[in-house]
Amino acid sequence: MAEEAAAPSATPKEETPQAAPPRETKREGFAFVVAVAGWLMPGLGHALQKMWGRAVICFLTVGVLVWVGAGMRGNLFTSRGNDAFDSLGYIADLGTGSFYWVARWLESNGPDVSHADGDYGTRFLATAGVFNLLAALHAYEAARGRKA
Amino acid sequence: MTAARVIGFFVAMLALKLTHLQALVIFALVVSIAFGFLGRRQPMERVKYILWTLFLFLLVGVGIGWAMYPFSH
Repeated sequence: MAEEAAAPSATPKEETPQAAPPRETKREGFAFVVAVAGWLMPGLGHALQKMWGRAVICFLTVGVLVWVGAGMRGNLFTSRGNDAFDSLGYIADLGTGSFYWVARWLESNGPDVSHADGDYGTRFLATAGVFNLLAALHAYEAARGRKA
Repeated sequence: MTAARVIGFFVAMLALKLTHLQALVIFALVVSIAFGFLGRRQPMERVKYILWTLFLFLLVGVGIGWAMYPFSH
């Protein structure tokens, strides 16, 4: 930017906007696919880049958190929330991707937040979602070539 | 193994009765390992990071628990 500003303006050239190189566009597309895949199936974003250790850890982390959260009968929020906190909880729970439906299936008896266990379970489920979003973002950055 | 047995197995596995401390330790351990793998590349750095994060999780969790103790009585 500084070099452009310092260039003499006596001979202005008509500059046409340059399109991104095809390789960059391809990389961006792949990064987007990686992010969506990582969100839908925890660990898949890293697995697509052959980061096997991170892929397994992401899958197991989200899996264990969902399993424990559902086992403690935590509240799994739905789209029919009553207030902003319910909506935020729904977004956090949706972060687990396909595991949201696994948690729903596991919690066949429904949530029970009348005890502390249920409250803790709610936090476990929300943490699983937020962590998976973080992992998907990490995979996206790695796919774009950023240090990860 | 029939589908009913599989579902029964999972339901039995789900009957989790954890104490608060057990829940805290499981949470801290799982999240620490995940952070270690995402945040560091070298194995030794990962181990150090996992142990440090686990220690801080437990310290802060138990610390907050004791800080709230007087208000529960």
